Amino acid sequence: MKQFIALTKKEFFESHATYRVYILLAVFAIFGLMGPMMALLMPVIFEMMAADMAAMGMTLEIPEPTAQDAWTQFFSTFAQMGTLALGIIFSGVMANDLNRGTLVNLLTMGLKRHTVILAKFFTATVLWTAAFLLAVGTAYMYTAFYFEMDTIAHVLLVFGAPWLFGVFMLALLIFGGTLFGNFYGALAVCFGVFFALIAVNILPAANRFNPASLAGGTLSIIMGAGEAADFIPAMFVCAGVIVLLIIVSILAFNHKKL
Amino acid sequence: MNNINTLEIKDLTKAFGGRNVVDNVSFNVPEHCVFGFIGANGAGKTTTMKMILGLLKPENGEITVCGERVRFGATKTNRLIGYLSDVPEFYSYMRPKEYLNLCGEIVGLSNAVIKRRTSELLSLVGLANANKKIGGFSRGMKQRLGVAQALLGEPKLLICDEPTSALDPIGRREVLDILQAIKGKTTVIFSTHILSDVERICDRVAVINNGKITMEKAMSELKVPHRAKAMTVEFAGEVDSDEVMRVLAENNFAPSHYEIPATSIEELFLEVAK
Repeated sequence: MKQFIALTKKEFFESHATYRVYILLAVFAIFGLMGPMMALLMPVIFEMMAADMAAMGMTLEIPEPTAQDAWTQFFSTFAQMGTLALGIIFSGVMANDLNRGTLVNLLTMGLKRHTVILAKFFTATVLWTAAFLLAVGTAYMYTAFYFEMDTIAHVLLVFGAPWLFGVFMLALLIFGGTLFGNFYGALAVCFGVFFALIAVNILPAANRFNPASLAGGTLSIIMGAGEAADFIPAMFVCAGVIVLLIIVSILAFNHKKL
Repeated sequence: MNNINTLEIKDLTKAFGGRNVVDNVSFNVPEHCVFGFIGANGAGKTTTMKMILGLLKPENGEITVCGERVRFGATKTNRLIGYLSDVPEFYSYMRPKEYLNLCGEIVGLSNAVIKRRTSELLSLVGLANANKKIGGFSRGMKQRLGVAQALLGEPKLLICDEPTSALDPIGRREVLDILQAIKGKTTVIFSTHILSDVERICDRVAVINNGKITMEKAMSELKVPHRAKAMTVEFAGEVDSDEVMRVLAENNFAPSHYEIPATSIEELFLEVAK
């Protein structure tokens, strides 16, 4: 436990010293802001287009933006750019420490190998949670300020799903980093699995169990189209795979030549 | 009771791609010995050391440190070992004290002990006043910090993998002086291909070539006996060579050959870089 605390402290300090935490928070605050802003700007953009189209003899109906538009923008930004940003920002968490040889010193001092994986996963999850809460908080505040907002049903599930998907990405990055020992490997594993899951998502039968449906899928609940129960199996699959990835990472690291 | 061996290696073999890089190596390192492990680049020195640290898995053989068996992937025996690599890597954003604090916490020392050991060790390695980030350190400074880190847990065995190879003559001398200073408190195994370094600090040496130990002896057994055909004599100050030859002749010594060596480049460098 002492080693876990020591290494966790080091990970947090590293996030501060390398500005990772500040980049992460800034990026996700912007993502949070972008949802409602895009919803607000859409009519302006459409209006400019409408002027051109009117010249061509077409008329364009411009609807008033709503809170639902804001959330639609938010979730789609999240599912694409959010995943990408998360992957890039955390790609070095395991990989750099291995690649630069800095971990060898600590391991030869008796640091247990499984502690490395657990402390890194824990720190990354805490940072990700903070960034996620900041993004959702920002989006929520602006949406409530600019639009009429109904209460969101199943709020924990709606926002818990993309958060859990982020944790899944982190577990993939740690697994890939452990396996390949560099950040290219970590990114390749993370995005490779991500795109594979998206490809699988085309099959309606797999949809219910596919963690990729958690990335932005729970938007359908806000829109009133989806049921909470639709996402429960995928949540369980995702949580199970995260635990599995961490266990496999520990086993792989235990057998890794350094 | 027998002599206690801090490190015992028996029939150790390691292959990479079908070739035995370490081939049936056996040797013991007695307590409080400075053991020189000599070999050319690629002879198998680093591979052997990494197996002692549990970082590589041997194909065959047994390693014990202070009577405890080393197991690959586990770090239990590493609490007895301090390790200094040829080019130690540190977190560049940390300062020396922060880094040693992290190491101390990992070793499991109390805060008071960490504080005391950190200041002791930083002054031993001459970094007491170096409070900048490690990213701005020279190689020599990193090597010295590496020594401090390796000694932090008061290890029974200090493993130094070519600690002087990447250093300039001044840095080399500094690291050797530090190793000399800790002699007697810790058992040291020290790999190198610089033979003059071995001569300066080692008590025992083993030569490894193509993965095999080709010679293992105490330093005293290697020393030149008292009767010899040739000898090199060095004086503390300048002397008149004619005078020396005259004194030799008066005492019935007739050298068949003598030469006055030019100042070595190393000496010259140390002189001007002071």
